[in-house]
Amino acid sequence: MSDSQVKTHGVNMDALGRKAQQKPPEDEECSLEVKNLKLFYGDKQALNGIDMHISKKRVTAFIGPSGCGKSTLLRCFNRMNDLVDGVRVEGEILLDGDNIYAKSVSAVELRRRIGMVFQKPNPFPKSIYENVAYGLRLQGIKDRRILDESVEKSLKGSALWEEVKDRLNDSALGLSGGQQQRLVIARAIAVEPEVLLLDEPASALDPISTLKIEELIYELKSDYTIVIVTHNMQQAARVSDYTAFMYMGDMIEFADTDTLFTNPGKKQTEDYITGRYG
Amino acid sequence: MTAKIDTNKTAAARLRHNKIRMVKDVLARYAVTIGGTSVILAIALIFFYLFFVVVPLFKSAEIDHVASYSVEGAGSSETLYLAMEEQSEIGVRFTRSAVAEFYNLDDGSLRYREEIELPAGATVSSFASAALEHGLVVYGLSNGQAVVVKHQYKVTFPNDQRKITPQIAYPFGEEPITIDDDGDILSYIAFQNGEEEATITAATNDGRLLMTHLIKEESMMDEGMFDIEQENLTLNYDSSILDYLLMGQEQDKIYAIDRRGELSFFNIRDKEEPELEQRLRIVEQGARVTTAMFLTGGISLMVGDSNGQISQWFPVRDEHNNKVLTLIRSFDAQDKPIDKIAIESGRKGFVAADREGNIGLYHSTAHRTLLVEPLADAAIHAIAISPRANAMWFEDQNGKMQFWRIHNEHPEVSWSSLWGEVWYESYEEPEYTWQSSSSSSDFEPKYSLVPISFGTLKAAFYAMLVAMPLAILGAIYTAYFMAPKMRNIVKPSIEIMEALPTVILGFLAGLWLAPFIESHLPGIFIMLILVPSAIILAAFSWQLAPRRLRDAIPEGWEAALLLPVIVLALWISYGFSPSIETAFFGGDMRHYLSNELGIDFDQRNALVVGLAMGFAVIPTIFSIAEDAVFGVPRHLSNGSLALGATPWQTMWGVVLLTASPGIFSAVMIGFGRAVGETMIVLMATGNTPVMDMSIFQGLRTLSANIAVEVPESEVASTHYRILFLAALVLFAFTFFFNTIAEVVRQRLRKKYSSL
Repeated sequence: MSDSQVKTHGVNMDALGRKAQQKPPEDEECSLEVKNLKLFYGDKQALNGIDMHISKKRVTAFIGPSGCGKSTLLRCFNRMNDLVDGVRVEGEILLDGDNIYAKSVSAVELRRRIGMVFQKPNPFPKSIYENVAYGLRLQGIKDRRILDESVEKSLKGSALWEEVKDRLNDSALGLSGGQQQRLVIARAIAVEPEVLLLDEPASALDPISTLKIEELIYELKSDYTIVIVTHNMQQAARVSDYTAFMYMGDMIEFADTDTLFTNPGKKQTEDYITGRYG
Repeated sequence: MTAKIDTNKTAAARLRHNKIRMVKDVLARYAVTIGGTSVILAIALIFFYLFFVVVPLFKSAEIDHVASYSVEGAGSSETLYLAMEEQSEIGVRFTRSAVAEFYNLDDGSLRYREEIELPAGATVSSFASAALEHGLVVYGLSNGQAVVVKHQYKVTFPNDQRKITPQIAYPFGEEPITIDDDGDILSYIAFQNGEEEATITAATNDGRLLMTHLIKEESMMDEGMFDIEQENLTLNYDSSILDYLLMGQEQDKIYAIDRRGELSFFNIRDKEEPELEQRLRIVEQGARVTTAMFLTGGISLMVGDSNGQISQWFPVRDEHNNKVLTLIRSFDAQDKPIDKIAIESGRKGFVAADREGNIGLYHSTAHRTLLVEPLADAAIHAIAISPRANAMWFEDQNGKMQFWRIHNEHPEVSWSSLWGEVWYESYEEPEYTWQSSSSSSDFEPKYSLVPISFGTLKAAFYAMLVAMPLAILGAIYTAYFMAPKMRNIVKPSIEIMEALPTVILGFLAGLWLAPFIESHLPGIFIMLILVPSAIILAAFSWQLAPRRLRDAIPEGWEAALLLPVIVLALWISYGFSPSIETAFFGGDMRHYLSNELGIDFDQRNALVVGLAMGFAVIPTIFSIAEDAVFGVPRHLSNGSLALGATPWQTMWGVVLLTASPGIFSAVMIGFGRAVGETMIVLMATGNTPVMDMSIFQGLRTLSANIAVEVPESEVASTHYRILFLAALVLFAFTFFFNTIAEVVRQRLRKKYSSL
């Protein structure tokens, strides 16, 4: 199924060099470890004790129907949920062995290490250059040379450099949606995070832009641990090494992507990926 | 589904329903269109009405020919002087043969003629007129005597018809006054009359300059007649080459101009000891004085010369406190020698006639040439302008007399008199002055819009100084940091402040705040320093407070803790005010300011206005700015936070940047409101039209000026129209600021529309 879809999109997955990951995630070097994570919006429980490993320099996708908690879980990784009123988190998330919810950890510092890209492209009303340099300027970096280098590197890293190198001082708002999203990714990788969280990064984009983002995710995998939330199962199948299926705040199944899509271990998973509900 | 609908509703019913929908739609569209159009129309109408009232101010003068005729003896040197009465119905002509002839101006027919009795053997050798409103003229005679004659007009209404009867009177008696005891010919004469005294000065044929001072004492026997005490005096001046002799209306100065164009300025305030103040040339080298005349009020001297230039001079106090005759301004719209100048009696306008029969209408203060037209074929011999300045009558060298109506309602207004520095009579230098009325009758209204426009901007500036930081910072905090529940209380409360009638604010500001500030001046300044620093200190110590205490207050509610801090700071400022005043300012800071620092203090000043109007403007700015900050999309600030920005960095780097158009338009709309605000400035500024940026000085704004003066201005008068012009300026101000706000908002909205 995924092959036929891929072909209609004009991408040859084998040409991208994608290899099936047969090993269970536990065997690889672990970037993020989630231990019995529970999250409450006021009295309502949104995550019911999640346990999982996110492997380093791999793409992990969260799929599931709307309201299943996949975005909420993603936002736990960089504590964006802290900004929501009445949210309470129990359990632990370990980043390289340290609990990010420990009192001594600053959310601000954490978010530098774990970057995030949102569903809607959100470039700042500044120039392309300043958008990319924003994160570095936050760190107090003022040296023009360092900024220039980093901006170029990040834009190249997000495959946007060729398109914008002649108009770095133009407003970022003049870019197309797909370009904006790649700019946002460039902005995120400019601060050299360890983990990149992508919250439905292509759902607001047209198919061509989506394709570019997917290619980019594949490229970025070599440097970053990527966690992606997506509605689009084909996308998950195309870009991710591991896929977690969530439903009603529970992690129903978590396995390498091929296994999950071709041979799901749970009935619920199978029902979902074959389109019986969602 | 569709099949079901079809069975339930017949086609006809659906059709009817569609029709009703269409009608409603059309009606709604028309209603909205009409509503919108009428708003625009109403504003346009206001604008056009203002414009319509203002336009006549800038019109040039117009003149209509009424009649031309010849009268007997005209054209020769026989005619000495022409004058007209109030209604412009009758004109009088004084001749060299001592005859006063009264004519009907409309047709030139002789109405009345009277020969003035001269002593036997004496002939007329000189002639002068006193200030116009007295109707007095003086004949200098060849025997050293002078006769003072008055032309007057009795108005009666037999059969309800106005009848004007001209008369000749001798207010100083029919007996001639002896000026020169030697009995020489009086070749030049000048004369002014006042309530208690009159002065005649005359130059004799043999070169003496004489002055006769007449002190009037009301006669016991006959009311309206005087007993006169006379003093004669000779001035130290050689009048052998004298050309013009003039005396100021107040009998305080004599100007003697000789043939070389040199003017000698005698101060005769002390009649016993006249003093020569100054000698100076008043025409350019090579030019000759061809006429000289006092403007109404007797302060300005208008000099016409052979180059066709008319110059205005008046005495100005110099640094040594001497009055020095100074060239104020000149007019050169005519290029032929100016032979005659006639002055208007109610205002500072005049008519100049040149040697080729061109006549020009001018206004001195406005520096305005209203009209120059060739009206006669020959040099003008004599010219008179009616007391109401609505008609003129002149006689040319060919003996032709012409009578013209003048339409010249607002000569005193010009671009330079409204917006430029104007050198008003008796002022030491050109100034911007607004002084539309006074108790004195020969007063010259000063209509500079600069001080009141300045006052408007000054009031708005100080109001913004108070309102802007409070409103914008408050808006940022409320929108970005405050807990939603607290915001739901704070925002409507501040917006309700806007509904507070400004008349109440003005009333409080003028009657309570102004005296309070005056008596607690040190406290006010302590407050301005103490309150912000107390807030910062409180915020800082809150950061240092133990975590348990900080956790006790929910996030976003910390601002509530500031309330007691502010109250305490205010109380301290208030409480320490008297002791600080005693310790540092000798018990009275107001006195200290004016005596030690030389800063004048008005009770109603810009500080009061700044506080009161600032208070009135805060809700406007706050409300719009808060919406702007709150409207910054959440995903933008989240994007910044996700990059590891602190909330403060996010606020500065992203939120404020994105909200800046909204904040800018909030400020502009607030400024527009402050500019147009009336009641507060009316009651709290003292309405003194001074140009001084000092925070302790009062001011007058355009709006308050209109509110104060419109009720007392005569409809369609210059004053009235200038007030409308002030309204137009105000309209333009607010229009300008609101338009800028809107344009910037639209542009930036377009720029950020893809957010």
